Amino acid sequence: MDTLLYLTRRIAQALVVILIVTVVVFGLLHALPGGPARGILGQQATPQQITLFNHDQGLDRPLPVQYLYYLRQLLHGDLGTSYTLNEAVSQLIEQRLPKTLVLTVLSAIIGLSLAIPLGMWQAVRRNKPADYVITTLSFVAYSTPVYFLGLVLVLVFTQVLRWFPSQAPQGDTVGQVFADPVALVLPVVTGAASMVAAFSRYMRAATLENLSEDYVRTARAGGSRQRAILFKHVFRNSLTPVIAMLGYYVPVLFGGALVVEQLFNYPGMGLLFWSAAQSSDYPVLLGCVLVISVATVVGSLLADIVQRVVDPRVKGGLV
Amino acid sequence: MNSILEIENLGVTFSTESGDVPAVRGVSLRVAAGETLALVGESGSGKSTVALAALGLLPGNARASGGVSVGGTDVVGAGEAELARLRGRTASMVFQEPATALDPLTRIGKQIAEVVRNHRDVSRREAAAEAVALLRRVGIPEPERRASAFPFQLSGGQRQRVVIAMAIANSPGLLVADEPTTALDVTVQAEILDLLRALAADSGTGVLLVTHNMGVVADFADRVAVMLEGEIVETGAVEEVLLRPTHEYTRRLLAAVPRLAVTGSGNGSVVREEVEGAPVVELRDVSVRFGRGPGAVRALEEVSLTVRAGETVGLVGESGSGKSTAARVALGLVAPESGGVSLFGADLRKARGRARRALLAGVGVVLQDPVASLDARMSVAECVAEPLRVHRRGMGAAERRERVAEVLELVRLPRELARRGPRELSGGQRQRVSLARALVLEPRLLVADEPTSALDVSVQQTVLEVISELQAELGFACLFVSHDLAVVQQFAGRVVVMRDGRVEEQGPTMSTLLHPETEYTRRLIAAVPIPDPVLQRERRKRRLALGTGAGA
Repeated sequence: MDTLLYLTRRIAQALVVILIVTVVVFGLLHALPGGPARGILGQQATPQQITLFNHDQGLDRPLPVQYLYYLRQLLHGDLGTSYTLNEAVSQLIEQRLPKTLVLTVLSAIIGLSLAIPLGMWQAVRRNKPADYVITTLSFVAYSTPVYFLGLVLVLVFTQVLRWFPSQAPQGDTVGQVFADPVALVLPVVTGAASMVAAFSRYMRAATLENLSEDYVRTARAGGSRQRAILFKHVFRNSLTPVIAMLGYYVPVLFGGALVVEQLFNYPGMGLLFWSAAQSSDYPVLLGCVLVISVATVVGSLLADIVQRVVDPRVKGGLV
Repeated sequence: MNSILEIENLGVTFSTESGDVPAVRGVSLRVAAGETLALVGESGSGKSTVALAALGLLPGNARASGGVSVGGTDVVGAGEAELARLRGRTASMVFQEPATALDPLTRIGKQIAEVVRNHRDVSRREAAAEAVALLRRVGIPEPERRASAFPFQLSGGQRQRVVIAMAIANSPGLLVADEPTTALDVTVQAEILDLLRALAADSGTGVLLVTHNMGVVADFADRVAVMLEGEIVETGAVEEVLLRPTHEYTRRLLAAVPRLAVTGSGNGSVVREEVEGAPVVELRDVSVRFGRGPGAVRALEEVSLTVRAGETVGLVGESGSGKSTAARVALGLVAPESGGVSLFGADLRKARGRARRALLAGVGVVLQDPVASLDARMSVAECVAEPLRVHRRGMGAAERRERVAEVLELVRLPRELARRGPRELSGGQRQRVSLARALVLEPRLLVADEPTSALDVSVQQTVLEVISELQAELGFACLFVSHDLAVVQQFAGRVVVMRDGRVEEQGPTMSTLLHPETEYTRRLIAAVPIPDPVLQRERRKRRLALGTGAGA
């Protein structure tokens, strides 16, 4: 299929999914206990006050009309106003999102750059002591809750060894965050740990599968050495399923950020989401949900596009 | 003459979870330069293990003993580095499955160049040029352009040519070919065998040809070694072994091979009289299209065929000819875009719900893959009983058990197997379970799609016998889809030859296959190798003359 046509179609699909997400978020907004009015006016509001508020805000109009209104607001970047922080949700997210992206993207890069070689190495040394040791560690890391792992890291590296500070960089801008790289180490490592565990397993499985493929035998029969086979053929073939997994890993990364930001007092989206949940600040919560959903859709879109670049068969419509 | 491959008293044992399994015992053989030795046998005989051992390519859980020497190098005791120097240069290999033998993500030119550069100190550019030259040598059209293609962009036959190009890249003294044409259509098989023969003759390469196909042996080999349960039971010149076998097993094996009768006398095949019964299934001008838009595939175009009560119709053709699709239309699994399908006189396209189910209850089906077509989580009895559960809802459990036992007996399977899982059975037994399941509702039509293609010849023979006998006893009609003309000739009263989604020709089997009316059928028949080296040599000459005559 023509690449341009493919991109257009795939992006159109993504837009449709995002539209469905907005319907769900809108629905959730209106399923709130007492509706948005109760949330904004507080528990003490009289029914008269609520009726008046609803009329002023257009909340007594039919739902589809309200949805269109909501959608128009969204397109103008208006996600509503926080109940507790008295600030536009969009502005809050605009401040916090870059910092969360720094944390999650760094975690993902470091996590993957450890996980991929580790998984390959394990596959080559399958059922040897090294494989068993890493497998055990992976399962421990994967099954340990992120907050517990974070606490252990904090305890060891800030209290016992005193190598790193226990707080993440506190600056408001990305520049300020990067100005204090030492303080970034523990949050990033905590975020990357489960990723290393999960993706080294995927990579190990994919590599093992590919090592038993016929084409490996063909390469070997042509006199290629194990190293060359591994790096020229098996690596690329094993990477494609891992890339596909990565697209669906975006929400997991955000979930991790929620805990890590709370643990290291890092004022990103996760912390925003957490405190909004504590104070029933629904506009903020739903704004975050919308952003994370969009990120997930974009993540799988990017994964699909990368896969198309790596694997010519996808383009040929064969896989 | 000097031997390029010498195997002395080779033994190979696989260590598995259930203990050590000896796969090859005391095998000794030689391949001289320029000579082709065919290693034949049924599945599990150890022939592929010998082939892999020749290049030191045995899997990790295998232990080899004895001596394997390739061009003077001892392979059994060699380390990986030494083996890597040998493979692709002194000896190389062509594998069975061209679909998976190439790295799907690497361009074919690059894969060939890799083999060149593994053994010779040439620049990338020189290696790429050499890859193009090799592609030209193995008969790939437009090699410059094709070199940058990915494997999925090539047909099966072209992929096998690429694998061969890789194998001959460094002019090896020994070529090991493990079922090199088994996954290919007969006409492509003939081309690949011609290619291998020419390459071997040109460069004096010795060939170890592993195959189960006696026709291929007759066509290609100088000498034959027959393997049974890990041992060589008979060795000799191809004429000796195929025409005057001495070992009892070789005789049995050869007797089980269906032979395509090419002269009027017909060796043993039964010519059945034409049946004038009522049609059980009828396809009228059926067209089927898969997909939409410009990418749509025309699978069938105005196909008409009829199967009458009690008769067997063979549906033959190469892969992609639409024969399986036609069978699926008859089964109601594929809805035609246009045309009519009637089953037992009723219009299948109009039948809905209960009426449709009742119609389809009259059709039994046996598919090619005996492993995939039975649910591994069900016991044999459950597999066979499933149609009863669907179509005879009122039937009690005891009655159902009784019926299952009855059909298992019909297909000559012992009752005790009913409780086992399909995995515990052999391929032939599984296929008979499929047959039992197909017959449990006493169908008026049996649709068999390549029912014996995955089986060894001796097993194929029993399964075909069972079908024939039951047909005589129960009187069902049969639509028999097969790529194997010899089997169809033996089995079907009428034959329909398909090509590119159309019916090429049809008629009584004997007259159609002996005196084909179309050029295509003639070529198809000419491409089938028959297991008689003397006759086959004649046929090959005539086929090549036909090929050039037709300007192919």
